[in-house]
Order: sequence, then structure tokens, then C-alpha cells
Amino acid sequence: MNIFRPRPVGEDWIEVRAELERAFQLSRTAAQAGESFVFVVHHDDLLGRRGAGNAIVATGLLSAARTAAIEGARKGWAVNVVAYDDDADPDVVTGWAERLAEDSLGVTGELIRVGPSHLGKALP
Amino acid sequence: MNGSIVITGAARGIGRQIAERLAANPSFTVIGVDLAPELGLAGHEMVPVQVDLTTDEGVHAVRRAVEQTGAPLIGLVNNAGIARDARLVNMTDEDFRAVLDVNLGAAFRLSTALTDLMTEGGSIVNIASRAYLGNFGQYNYSMSKGGVVGLTRAMALGLAPHIRVNAVAPGLIGTEMAMAIPEDVLDKMVAAIPLQRMGTPEEVANVVWFLLTPLSSYITGHVMVVGGGRSLS
Repeated sequence: MNIFRPRPVGEDWIEVRAELERAFQLSRTAAQAGESFVFVVHHDDLLGRRGAGNAIVATGLLSAARTAAIEGARKGWAVNVVAYDDDADPDVVTGWAERLAEDSLGVTGELIRVGPSHLGKALP
Repeated sequence: MNGSIVITGAARGIGRQIAERLAANPSFTVIGVDLAPELGLAGHEMVPVQVDLTTDEGVHAVRRAVEQTGAPLIGLVNNAGIARDARLVNMTDEDFRAVLDVNLGAAFRLSTALTDLMTEGGSIVNIASRAYLGNFGQYNYSMSKGGVVGLTRAMALGLAPHIRVNAVAPGLIGTEMAMAIPEDVLDKMVAAIPLQRMGTPEEVANVVWFLLTPLSSYITGHVMVVGGGRSLS
């Protein structure tokens, strides 16, 4: 299944770009095969709470997913993002990612958040 | 509020308009950065720095230029950007890296290199794009501008309370980049905008001015979309 989980990165651009490029390679390969894909990120990174490098990767992936979803909607494949917080059950997070990668039932370009830490915070 | 302000991508388009707006105020020493040679503002004072911001040498040159002004750095506008559009299935590695390096890497590296010069506090404005919400044929561009939003949030948290960091996300603006779009496509894009027209560089510069100055003194970590309502239609 096409599921991408970024590795933690530091404050070094080359390291950050390498992680984004790994996501790009997976995205392009999946799109060329007409397959759906999913990015899994930490919710804190969407809000910039764990350093600039990790924030750039998480929000970059979310935006790329939204764009890829627009392109995939015409071809029948979906792209979604699952965000989790520290209290989220890892098996539940994986379950969501696998479900969305396998058959998202028409859900595409969405951010699915597992755990309550996003409540009352900015919409990413 | 006196000091120096750095703006990247200052030679043309939105960046040029922002530079002119800032340079018209004698309180500011404007340092205009661009790879293009046509820097310099007629009738105004601007310190031109012609460098490639994707290199360490380029970033160091900007830092030296700020130090040489002798004035504290009070503002930074990360505006430099390029587009290399293609559908994801056809996007090349080269086009992916080029857009990421200029639109996101330069902003990240320059911000990291300059913030310690903001000894009296300051404001950073990152130029994102409405495309961070998604735009057909712009996987690389959209990712880069989404990354700018994350950079903005992380810096806003990390540099508070003395430095504010915000982003502006322009929609379709009447620049050279927009004029390169085929007329029939452009007409359809404009028709989808509730305000029924492209924005102007001046309208973006107005928002950048607001975010740079104390007019926005209680705002940080925010993304302001300047898109004529297109995100709703």
C-alpha cells in the first residue's frame, strides 16, 4: 500500500528537502500506476510545534496531497492525510491510513485527525 | 520604527511593488535581493543584492549587506518564487527540486541566517500562495507554499514574543507570471473569482505593509489569503 510516513528531520534544508522528495517519488509512482496514496503526519507538526523542519514537511505534504487529490479525482485515485497526536493509538492510525489507501470510498483531499489535540486550534 | 528591511524577489511583480512601497518611507533602509539584474528603484533608495538564494554564498551575501547598513534589521519579506507546472505523473525531478529550493529552501535558509540580527524585534512576512490549498498541475509549487505555511507557524512560535511571523497567500495577481497564462484559460480563472478580477501587486503590498508594521502588532502565525474570495467559489 502507498503510505508515506515522514522521518523526523532537523533544521537543515537538505535534510528537509530529501524527506519531501521521498514523498514526491512515492506520489508520482502511485499516480502513474493509478493508485491512491496516504501521508501520515503528527498533528503538532501541522501547527509548527516541533521545529521548523518537521513543520515544513508536514504542511508541505498536506498541500501536496490537496493538489494531487485534484488531479486524481479525474482519474479515480484518491489522496488523503492522516494526522495523529501523542494520545492516538498507533494501530488506529495505521488502520485509517490503510483504509484510505485501499479504498477511500470517495474521500479525497481530506485531513483525518486521530486524537483530540486539534480541537480549538487553527485549521491547517 | 527605523531600520533595515530585506525583501527577496524584489526585481519584478509583487516583490517589486512591496519594495517600492517600503522604499517610499524614509524610515526604512530597503535591501532588495534578486537573481535578476534589473534591481534598483528609480528615485528611491534601495540596496541591491544580486545573488542566488539557493546557495550558502547567496545567503551570506544578504547577511553581510544587512550588517553593512549599520541599521537593525526590523523586517524580512521572503517573496522569491518560481513556478514549473506539470501534472504529477509528468513532473520531473529537476522541476520538483528547483521549485522547492527557491520557494521554500531560500525562505528557510535566509530566515534562519538573519533572525539573530533582529536585535530590536521585528516582523517576518512569508509570501505563500493560495495554491497551498491545492491547485491542479502544481504539486511542487503547492508543496513549497504549504511548506512556507509550516515554516511560518514554527517560526512564529519559536521567535515569539519579540519577532512576529506571518504569511500572505496571494491568489491570481496581475503579474508577468499570470500574463503568461493563455487568454482563454485566464478568462475562466477570473470568472471563478467572486470579485471578478485579478488582484494587483499593490493589493498584496498593502497586506504585507500591514503585517510588517505595528498595525498588526497582535498577529503572529497567521496566513492571510489575498484572493478575491476564490477559496470559497
